[in-house]
Amino acid sequence: MSHDGHHSVVIPAPGPEFQPHTVAHHFDTPVQEFQSAKLGFWLFLATEILLFGGLFAAYFFFHEAYPETFRLGGQQLDWKLGALNTSVLLLSSWTMAMGVRSAQTSQKKKLLVYCGLTVLGALLFMVIKYIEYTAKNEHGFVVFSELFGQYDEATGQLPWFKDYHGAMQGVPHGHLFFAIYLTMTAIHGLHVVIGACLILWVMKGAAKGRFHAGYFLPVDLVGLYWHLVDLIWIFLFPLLYLVP
Amino acid sequence: MAAHTHDSHAGSSHPAHGALQMGHHHVSSSAMFFNVLVALLILTVVTVAVSRFDFGGANMLIAMAIASVKAALVMGFFMHLKWDTAINKIVFFGSFLFLSLLFIFTLADQATRRMDSDWHVRKPPVDKQWVYKQHEAPAGKH
Repeated sequence: MSHDGHHSVVIPAPGPEFQPHTVAHHFDTPVQEFQSAKLGFWLFLATEILLFGGLFAAYFFFHEAYPETFRLGGQQLDWKLGALNTSVLLLSSWTMAMGVRSAQTSQKKKLLVYCGLTVLGALLFMVIKYIEYTAKNEHGFVVFSELFGQYDEATGQLPWFKDYHGAMQGVPHGHLFFAIYLTMTAIHGLHVVIGACLILWVMKGAAKGRFHAGYFLPVDLVGLYWHLVDLIWIFLFPLLYLVP
Repeated sequence: MAAHTHDSHAGSSHPAHGALQMGHHHVSSSAMFFNVLVALLILTVVTVAVSRFDFGGANMLIAMAIASVKAALVMGFFMHLKWDTAINKIVFFGSFLFLSLLFIFTLADQATRRMDSDWHVRKPPVDKQWVYKQHEAPAGKH
């Protein structure tokens, strides 16, 4: 159909408020385009699992080595904020799933509303994360008080994680838990920000009517990315806030 | 139509439409998505609730079992993996297979090594010539 290069395949728009989709010239059929992109994206998500998997392996290694340190470290975090963020991400995962469904059923306005709610969820998640990183809670911890600095050997203080009230003083290898906490939540937070930007990009296309029952591939893929962010957090929450 | 609200699957044969669509896709009902959300929120409460009890060595297993059920719900329904093609399932679940190799060897190492911090606490095996004597620190340690 397209190897001769004379004409490209076009998926017609289901209504006047939508745009037709022209299949990329290197694909023969819309089905081939969809399946190829989807396989590629699952492959990318597999690498994401391996990226976070390495960090989880580090967590399990040091948790086994210093279980009491990890338990004490986890108690310095506010599990209520962690649980709130878990609920926010689960809700946003639901709105994203509903957004993909709206695209599949050619409901333009609903798609925009659900994507907008998902972005709001991402914002709320990052605001709560910011509060956790910066607020001096009852234990007096501040993450990112000073990003570049020297490790203080005398007090065992990390430059980016200050233990103002000395709650972890004398606890062996206390910095290990917080190093893992910060690395995992910061990389996860980066994914939240990237995901929110991708959803905004989807909304831009949705406003132009690019996505409908005939073509919703980008909405589907960005949705998968967003669910992965949720998937990682489902494991981070009990491991970091409720250290078993 | 590319989208049906009930039980249509990729690959069902409607060539007349399929030629100009991305293929046939399963579109889940809103009610199903809502039920999954409720289940996930309930399981979050369960996660917090069980953390209040000490099951000893089973703590980690219980926490991870609940998280795995939540993850399965997200993957199966939100990510639509239940209705996805076999190759996509193999690719994604394959990553967990390789991840389990990393976990198995890392934890096997962990279980059989002596951490630097407790070299002075445990007695070295006396029948091994190469083990440093108890009053001597290993190289680089004090």
